[in-house]
Amino acid sequence: MNCEVKAKDRIGTINPIFTCQPAGAQYASIGVKDCIGIVHGGQGCVMFVRLLISQHLKESFEIASSSVHEDGAVFGALDRVETAVDVLLSRYPHVKVVPIITTCSTEVIGDDVDGLITKLEEGLLAEKFADREVHLLPIHTPSFVGSMVSGYDVAVRDFVKKFARKGEPNGKINLITGWVNPGDVKELKHLLKEMDIEATVLFEIESFDSPLMPDGKAVSHGSTTVEDLQSTGSAIHTFALNRYEGAKAAQFLEKKLKVPSTIGPTPIGIRNTDALLRKLSAVTGKPIPESLVRERGIALDAIADVAHMFLADKKVAIYGNPDLVIGLAEFCLDLEMRPKLLLLGDDNSGYVDDPRIKALQDNVDYPMEIVTNADFWDLEDRVKNKGLELDLILGHSKGRFVSIDYNIPMVRVGFPTYDRAGIFRNPVVGYAGATWLAEQMANALFNDMEVKKNKEWLLNVW
Amino acid sequence: MPYHEFEVSKCIPERKMHAVVKGPGEDLTHALPKGYLNTIPGTISERGCAYCGAKHVIGTPMKDVIHLSHGPVGCTYDTWQTKRYISDNNNFQLKYTFASDVKEKHIVFGAEKLLKQNILEAFDAFPDIKRMTIYQTCATALIGDDIAAIAEEVMTERPEVDIFVCNSPGFGGPSQSGGHHKINIAWLNQKVGTVEPEITSDYVINYVGEYNIQGDQEVMLDYFKRMGIQVLSTFTGNGTYDALRGMHRAHLNVLECARSAEYICDELRARYGIPRLDIDGFGHKALGDSLRKIGLFFGIEDRAEAIIAEETARWKPELDWYRERLQGKRVCLWPGGSKLWHWAHAIQEEMGVKVVSVYTKFGHQGDMEKGVSRCGEGALAIDDPNELEGQEALLTLKPDVIFTGKRPGEVAKKMRVPYLNAHAYHNGPYKGFEGWVRFARDIYNAVYSPMHQLSAIDISKDDYATDKGFVTRRMLSDANLSDEAKASPITGYTGPFDPIPGLRGKSYPAFERRVATEAAE
Repeated sequence: MNCEVKAKDRIGTINPIFTCQPAGAQYASIGVKDCIGIVHGGQGCVMFVRLLISQHLKESFEIASSSVHEDGAVFGALDRVETAVDVLLSRYPHVKVVPIITTCSTEVIGDDVDGLITKLEEGLLAEKFADREVHLLPIHTPSFVGSMVSGYDVAVRDFVKKFARKGEPNGKINLITGWVNPGDVKELKHLLKEMDIEATVLFEIESFDSPLMPDGKAVSHGSTTVEDLQSTGSAIHTFALNRYEGAKAAQFLEKKLKVPSTIGPTPIGIRNTDALLRKLSAVTGKPIPESLVRERGIALDAIADVAHMFLADKKVAIYGNPDLVIGLAEFCLDLEMRPKLLLLGDDNSGYVDDPRIKALQDNVDYPMEIVTNADFWDLEDRVKNKGLELDLILGHSKGRFVSIDYNIPMVRVGFPTYDRAGIFRNPVVGYAGATWLAEQMANALFNDMEVKKNKEWLLNVW
Repeated sequence: MPYHEFEVSKCIPERKMHAVVKGPGEDLTHALPKGYLNTIPGTISERGCAYCGAKHVIGTPMKDVIHLSHGPVGCTYDTWQTKRYISDNNNFQLKYTFASDVKEKHIVFGAEKLLKQNILEAFDAFPDIKRMTIYQTCATALIGDDIAAIAEEVMTERPEVDIFVCNSPGFGGPSQSGGHHKINIAWLNQKVGTVEPEITSDYVINYVGEYNIQGDQEVMLDYFKRMGIQVLSTFTGNGTYDALRGMHRAHLNVLECARSAEYICDELRARYGIPRLDIDGFGHKALGDSLRKIGLFFGIEDRAEAIIAEETARWKPELDWYRERLQGKRVCLWPGGSKLWHWAHAIQEEMGVKVVSVYTKFGHQGDMEKGVSRCGEGALAIDDPNELEGQEALLTLKPDVIFTGKRPGEVAKKMRVPYLNAHAYHNGPYKGFEGWVRFARDIYNAVYSPMHQLSAIDISKDDYATDKGFVTRRMLSDANLSDEAKASPITGYTGPFDPIPGLRGKSYPAFERRVATEAAE
């Protein structure tokens, strides 16, 4: 077999690819309107995650901390959550949804957040905030389990679980985007609009690409409402685009509320976008319109200009969120490129059974490695010490020094991408995403040819 | 009434004691906010944790060290690549971070074995690095792993390596400040005195509380070297592990950021009798006075004066050019801990701006004392600010520019207040005579950005002349200046994009030792 899936052969982590679960829950929480999460733990678990997300989106947003100090760590810190909920609700009159997101410290000391929520619902909310619509929900995201990816998955499930109700079928679909960018949400909504499909988009972060307005009053916020979440139980179908970021919620809806679901495809590249549109069409009975046939043609036209002339046979390493990495690898193969190394940065044991990974193993005709529980040393060590030759790296900004120090061009994609302007604004999904990706990769290679004076004259004629 | 009550904080009355407005004729006895108390949960405070205070602020700038955090991966990831503490060894400490990756089974059964294997793996991956710092996190503090014992074990097995252990879990104290304290004392207790440094000058200092943000330390070291002073160690920016083990042999501790590093200076004074001299690399006057004080201490004032004269002649005209154009611009000086007092007076005196508010996230009352005393009348001082109070202050104070962190900077941007990064700087270094001009340049560029002017205009309503194809900063900044000022041949800062490479590898005059034999002992 040419393609091996193996776990990192070291126990520790040198330059992590992912952060921990609470960060994923926090990213999901900012997609909900009128929602401010309280992260139950030390203050750094919020402060740094807000910094990270704000570096990526170049926007701010609110997440609170229960500010656990030493006494709380010793004697229990539920009183900190009680105060936090009270203070938060008192000062933010618009807030309706408050997820209590746990961390390693508060899971280790065993704070009973679920019990506290019942107590607060019967006490504080019933007494002090009786005239307010307030929903508290626990999200358990100990940092020593999974990664930010599973944290996102767990949070999406828990939001849906909290609110979804079975009502009259509303004719809509649920679209669970997974961990994406505002530009992706925009493209997905565009595809749905062209298909004339009404959808509830979870978690809707398009407006995090927000304006600077003359009155200085613009704010960035998620757009998924409580009503949206409630209505997920009445949808005709759930599409969870990412297997590892949203599938749990889709499975919950199917099992408990009998909303059928489709997991995947992550619509990266032409083929996966085609597959999504076909499935959408099959479920809703809506035909794929001429406008999308044309958009697909525009993408293919753009890709034809760069694929077999420039991208073919280029060796690529890809790292980041698993659905993104797999989707990119699939698209690269369609572009005649050679993904040589895929790095999946956590120890999820399900990756080996992913049919997409099995398909890679069955069909790739050159040596390819897939490393789970991977860190950046798995990339750098291969480049530095083990003779891995690469033409391109696809991944997020935390791996930037592998590109910089070993002179390998890199296209920023995924989360976070703070070291390039405006990445979050562009889609990687849909036909527009396919065009953007192919052209970014081509331009990165062109720039590299010029910097290294490696057939830089080639582009005199193109 | 000195205390300031925010509208948005009326429901948490205890907040009232955390903000003051400096009234006419008032001094510190009238107005001093409370500081360094436990955070009120749910306020959306901007504070970090004691782990980051130890690891991220003080530990990691040490440049030849494997920085390994013992815990789940998030603490490591989140505090990696979010600062600009560079070094002259190709930024090893910026590029590489290490996590023991504690998982659920380790929480249950203990993570000491895991830690040991991690240590060995890390040293094996980087065979040229022989020094390591291990940082405890919340999770491993709670399960009670004995990190020091594991470190000892490895040091016994591999005598060529040395390991420092910092036990500062995230929950240890109200803010990152708790971690500053812990790592100061831990370093002193574990490592100072374990290496005997070579003394090569009559004048030997440790440079303490300096983190080489965008090259600050290298700028300051240039002055010290020009004065013939041997800088034994820097705590910690661009500093080496072994040099910091020899701190006990300095004649003087020159302290920059007192908030984060006064503890080690005070203990070095108590244990080794090394005096502490607080200095300030920000601002021409403060920096000149600092160099003079150091010169005075060693009896080499003339060397200090020579540097001050040369640097002032080179950079003061450019600084004054900005000063003329920044007169009266309203500034919110909202940094982390100590820059409120490092900067408040200096920017008002030397750049002409008016500080309308100072805040500190993790400072103590002592920082507020200094900050408030260096502000003018009407300034609003806030301890442990939170999101809503910050927004209310921006709305009422209407500053022209704000100096704060990256994320609060995004809040300000939406409220149409340009921001400069007070922690990592926009285009630093900001220390040094030249650096101070770079700071003024960045303020000017922010305040007079033509795009900033455009963002105030509502194209659907406002009446504004669209006859111009462009507007320059100069057209905006010089509109109300005298003809003489307008005619200035200076056009602002003339230095390079990065002044640091020019300092590396520079050679310095050899000063004759006063008492060669005595020094050799």
